[in-house]
Amino acid sequence: MRAFGYTPVRDPAEAVRVARQTPGAAFIAGGTDLLNLMRDGAQRHEHLVDISGLDLASITDSASGLRVGGLARMRQVAEHRSVRERFPVLAEALEASASPQVRNMATIGGNLLQRTRCGYFRDAASACNKRVPGSGCPALEGWNRGHAVLGGSEHCIATHPSDLAVALLALDAVVHLLGPDGPRQVPVGGFHLRPGQAPHVDTVLRPAELITAIEVPRRAAAVRSRYLKLRDRATFEFAVVSIAAVLELRGGRVRDVRLAFGGIATTPWRSPEAEAVLRGEPLTVAAIERAGRVLVRDAVPRPHNGFKVELVQRALVELLSGLGGLR
Amino acid sequence: MNVELVGRPVARVDGRAKVTGAARYPADDPVPGALHGFLVTSTVARGEVVRIDPSQALAHPGVVAVYTHADLPRLTVPTFPYIKGFIPLQGTAVHHAGQPVAIVLATTLEQAREAANLVRVDYRAEPPTASMDDATEPPHLPLPFRGRPNEITRGDAAAAWEAAEVRVEARYSSPTRHHNPIEPHATTAQWEGDRLTVHETAQGVNLTRSVLSTAFGLPPDRIRVLAPFLGGGFGAKGPVWPHTILTVAAARLAGRPVRLVLTRAQMFTLTGHRAEFRQHLRIGATRQGKLTALVETTTAQLSRTEESIFNESDSSSTLYDCPNVHVRQEGVPPDLASSSYMRSPETTAHFGLETALDELAWQVGVDPVELRKLNHTAVDQETGSPIAGKRLLDCYRIAAEAFGWSRRAPRPGATQDGDEHVGWGMATEAHTFAAAPADPPVTASVTVGADGRAVVRIATQDIGTGTYTVIGQVVADAMGVPLDAVTAVIGDSALPYAGVSAGSATIASVTGPVDRAARAARDAVVALAVADPRSPLAGVPADEVVTAHGHLFHVRDRARRDSYRAVVGRHGAPVETTGSLRNTPGHSYGAVFVEVRVHARLGSVRVTRVVTAHDMGRVMNRRTARGQVLGGVTWGIGHALMEHTVHDRHTARVVNANLSGYLVPVCADAPAVESHFVDHPDPASTALGARGFGETPITGVPAAIGNAVYHATGRRVRDLPITRDKLL
Repeated sequence: MRAFGYTPVRDPAEAVRVARQTPGAAFIAGGTDLLNLMRDGAQRHEHLVDISGLDLASITDSASGLRVGGLARMRQVAEHRSVRERFPVLAEALEASASPQVRNMATIGGNLLQRTRCGYFRDAASACNKRVPGSGCPALEGWNRGHAVLGGSEHCIATHPSDLAVALLALDAVVHLLGPDGPRQVPVGGFHLRPGQAPHVDTVLRPAELITAIEVPRRAAAVRSRYLKLRDRATFEFAVVSIAAVLELRGGRVRDVRLAFGGIATTPWRSPEAEAVLRGEPLTVAAIERAGRVLVRDAVPRPHNGFKVELVQRALVELLSGLGGLR
Repeated sequence: MNVELVGRPVARVDGRAKVTGAARYPADDPVPGALHGFLVTSTVARGEVVRIDPSQALAHPGVVAVYTHADLPRLTVPTFPYIKGFIPLQGTAVHHAGQPVAIVLATTLEQAREAANLVRVDYRAEPPTASMDDATEPPHLPLPFRGRPNEITRGDAAAAWEAAEVRVEARYSSPTRHHNPIEPHATTAQWEGDRLTVHETAQGVNLTRSVLSTAFGLPPDRIRVLAPFLGGGFGAKGPVWPHTILTVAAARLAGRPVRLVLTRAQMFTLTGHRAEFRQHLRIGATRQGKLTALVETTTAQLSRTEESIFNESDSSSTLYDCPNVHVRQEGVPPDLASSSYMRSPETTAHFGLETALDELAWQVGVDPVELRKLNHTAVDQETGSPIAGKRLLDCYRIAAEAFGWSRRAPRPGATQDGDEHVGWGMATEAHTFAAAPADPPVTASVTVGADGRAVVRIATQDIGTGTYTVIGQVVADAMGVPLDAVTAVIGDSALPYAGVSAGSATIASVTGPVDRAARAARDAVVALAVADPRSPLAGVPADEVVTAHGHLFHVRDRARRDSYRAVVGRHGAPVETTGSLRNTPGHSYGAVFVEVRVHARLGSVRVTRVVTAHDMGRVMNRRTARGQVLGGVTWGIGHALMEHTVHDRHTARVVNANLSGYLVPVCADAPAVESHFVDHPDPASTALGARGFGETPITGVPAAIGNAVYHATGRRVRDLPITRDKLL
């Protein structure tokens, strides 16, 4: 690991100011991803601005919704009573993430900003357009079992690894930011960027901009929500396929449904078309299967990840039929 | 008399030291003045180093030296147990990605590591061959390895296959897999003149010594290798690897001690692995399932510099009664690092054999256990002589009963519980344990001090298996002293000679010498007592003295007693004895039964129940023996369901060289395991009735799981690992 400078800061404004004034600066909070990236040489920073002391860790529940500070720890959020009662999908996604040790350290803001687990990205000696723009993408022709079938480009097909982001997407959450130009808000659905021509840019976050909070709008239907995560071992592993679902039924018909997917796309993935197939229809396995087919209509499978196209459709049936009481 | 300690579930004597951090592992203790080394490794897999520019690295703070092939003296490439075929930094050729091309020395580890990034290496790269599939040359039969041929023929297998009433033909495969002990490999080398001390993560301190002796042309008695504790080896620390030699060479060049610890990523190319493996099996049998022919060709990944095969087909050629056998172990050399032994080498080929037998059982309609009993052999298939003390049939019976095998559903896919198919499968387990070399003989010494305590010394190792504890039990029993009156000193090549802790050879090879030395010590102390007029036992015939709890008694009059402490105290000098004994190789056996649940829609496989029964002669310590079963079963689950190392097809670099990308089972993947032991002393044993055991309880697990998945779903997966994409 390269030597780097270090500045602990006391308030968000100072954090933004120091980050803006210091070349090559990055924020560090829990450090559960950043330190590994730096140690492995996948990411280099001249300076770390330590924000872990900022007062941004509180969780508040109000009539308008839930507000989670950017520095709240994963475990803290997963255990919060309002989260468990009103947004079970959120608690489930968090508890399906990482390990208890990591969840004790990792923050909500950092979770949204974690980098892909693509083996080529993590190996500093491999080509990778996300790590070194223009160097190529070995995953396209190489080992791509874990890679995306949706949202990719000819420059990158790496998946976003966050479970939390998938759940937040299904809940229409909003990310609160503070930057040199002041505060702004970005819907979670617009926060992560598809690789396109610039896979090295993961999010809309601007230089020196800080995640101060996540806001989850109150929605009664979120009580009936669930997170299904499929992976290659029982725990402590990223998703092969995951789905967050919020389902509102009235008289056997789907009044509203929100579906977000992980493991299959380059960003946390929402499919309005698939939701539209179900909305207003009686909830049946056949209807869910139709929605699944719409979801994967534009999928681009690669040699090793083609099974995800089938698996995500099956997972959708599994999740919604369970959530809708069909089984 | 003492209650015998041998056999009981005695807790590890070093357990507390390990969990409190008091146990010092080879890289733990600071060495005054030591520099930290870090390897610069090749980013290309095939080609040549054209130029190395260390100037930026040398300018980095704390950096003392950067050594390349231009700096290192020419060294002699050792043979076994150095199984690399070449020493890096001796020339410019690159044989695999991750091969060391330079070593950086600096004051701190962080400085060395960052400076290693700053060493600029230019290569002339050639496109590598990254897998057996892409090899342009056909597989070939390598020369015999350590006297073992790669082709075994018995009877006329081809003709018997053609004539067989029933035939099974199938192809099985296993991917590259890595040992991944939790403790990374580490070497600390310290020269004093032409004397060398090495703190090494070694499964065999004497192996490290012999390799360094050859490489540096140094008499073995000038080299001392220390490995008091080991954080797991599984074979990865049995052979000696280049980083050890390079660290020793760098310490000599720098004139200062050097410590080098491999990173997890470096362990994926520098310390061996289980080779990628293909197996083509043809089994002929009668309609009743009796084997008549076994024709097997295996293909293992070799390397450009090493032709040894470490995925032996012992099970195919010897485990069952079959008159006509033809086994060919072929290999193909891609541009990858050399493979090596991995607990247990038989496991890879055993998967195909035990799966094929399951396929045969279904084909002829015979219960898989009955099929194995039908083909059981009581004689060595190669020599025809009886296998002493083999109790494999007991293993089948005990495990099948405990598992409830008789209630097994007769058809595949017949049992469903909620969303899951439930399936049961089984396999035989078998492992050949090694013997220590005959010369020099394995020797232990026992010293009884004036405090009455016994110190046993032997250059064996505790690789996490419980050697310290079992040696203590043996000495305590032989002498009649409490366990806490015995101290075992091991893991040091300066101690009386012992071999490598590999091939499940430790207990098999050290128990005899330790027992002899301890009995000699007891006899010597008894002789002192009866000859000492001050002893209450004065004049008693030695064979009428018994020992227990640290005391010596007259066998008929227990009021006449003395103690080790008193006798040796009066004697005024410690009593020291030695014992030596040769052991022979042999076999341990077992049966493993598993239950799996396979999600009907999602293909998720869970192993929910495991029952084992093993025959390894006498059980020395029930607790550490069960530890071996738990480790073997858990690792077998890893092999069956998830573990695989991926090489990029274009660059031949490992894509998942870390524990995030290379999955091993976590607690939630490990089911309850019910373990049974036949526990019958082997009359042929030189180890108080025990045989070597440690590697045995992984051998059948992958096949048992695959067989259970078939029983659950009717799907036969012949290519490991059994990931959900193969079951959708």
